[in-house]
Amino acid sequence: MSSSTDIPRHWARIQESGSVAGMRIMVWIRRHLGRLPFRVMLGLVIVYYYLCQSLPRRASREYLQRIWPLHAGHLPRWRAWLGLKHFMAFGQSLMDKVDAWSGVPLDVRLAPEDRACLDRAIRSGRGGLMLVSHVGNLEICSAMSDTRDDFHVTQLMHTRNSRKFNQLLDRSTRRRGPEIVEVTEITPATALGLAERIDAGGFVVIAADRIPIDEQGRVRPLEFLGATALFPEGPFWLAALLRCPIYTLSCLREGGSHRVEFRPFDDTSTLRRADRDAWREAAMQRYVAWLTDQCRRYPLQWFNFFPFWQTDDRYAS
Amino acid sequence: MSPVSNDLELELKHLIIDTLELEDVTPDDIDRDEPLFVEGLGLDSIDALELGLALQKTYGIKLDADSEESRHHFADLKSLAALVEARRVK
Repeated sequence: MSSSTDIPRHWARIQESGSVAGMRIMVWIRRHLGRLPFRVMLGLVIVYYYLCQSLPRRASREYLQRIWPLHAGHLPRWRAWLGLKHFMAFGQSLMDKVDAWSGVPLDVRLAPEDRACLDRAIRSGRGGLMLVSHVGNLEICSAMSDTRDDFHVTQLMHTRNSRKFNQLLDRSTRRRGPEIVEVTEITPATALGLAERIDAGGFVVIAADRIPIDEQGRVRPLEFLGATALFPEGPFWLAALLRCPIYTLSCLREGGSHRVEFRPFDDTSTLRRADRDAWREAAMQRYVAWLTDQCRRYPLQWFNFFPFWQTDDRYAS
Repeated sequence: MSPVSNDLELELKHLIIDTLELEDVTPDDIDRDEPLFVEGLGLDSIDALELGLALQKTYGIKLDADSEESRHHFADLKSLAALVEARRVK
């Protein structure tokens, strides 16, 4: 297989397929015709997408080859079928997104341990930084912040790809979502703004599995599922600077319900400056270990449909 | 300069030393007219950000990190004290 250089490899340059008009039609179907017609339409769209979009399909295949031995103990046997299921899981997550913001009641479950941790975190009044990933469906978590007055969430998001979809949701659902701060890079201004929110007891959500849009940004090559992938250092710089409790957060689909996992990750309030570099390195390793575990348990909910692993020799370990 | 200001300046010196963990620096080493960044204490932009975060936390001052104005406030201890005095809410 050729990997020609004209194929965009950075996630942010890979356009989200489908036009705004197409997505509006889908939302309209969901809202006015109900769940079943929507599912049928979505199924058709996903099959079309799977057949016509070779880049995400190849990315999905590479990922499944890497994760399946860890998840099932062997390589994928029906690769095309599994790939399609992977795409379907993504379609399902879009549907959940629409539902979450349309106010459809969701079956959200927290294990006692996660619930206790979340309650403690909120009650402490210290706020915190929540590290997330593109495994599972974060919109469900965001929708949760809608149901609790004492749970204020600010979501840090890269611009471009997600904007289109979110604008659409805003227009068609008219519900208060989490506050979204769009960033192309984390600047001092961003840090100051976020620190203010955390000081007020709020929580900041940041994904640590996608590298910055600006390729000059700081990245670190790490071993992930058997090969080298680049991870952004920004979230961990921020975690150290903000001197606050750090958590991991995820929302995973389990049958018909959503399982929210909220766990303590670290606390940087007493981290010394001299120890920061070492902390960042260790924290990034721990994040990747957490991410690996999420993928192992919920392999089809990995929604990074772009070439995730490095082919660049500069970073080969 | 009023004594209140001097107290505040001393407080700020301690804040700078503690925040940036400048172990070999005493409050006397920081001159109120000397540039804090690059020349004087030789602080860099991460230090500036960190100082901004500490000011925000301690005094509840809202800072706009990208503005020219902020750069002026961070020029030396004197300007920093003036900023805190003018904008502090706690």
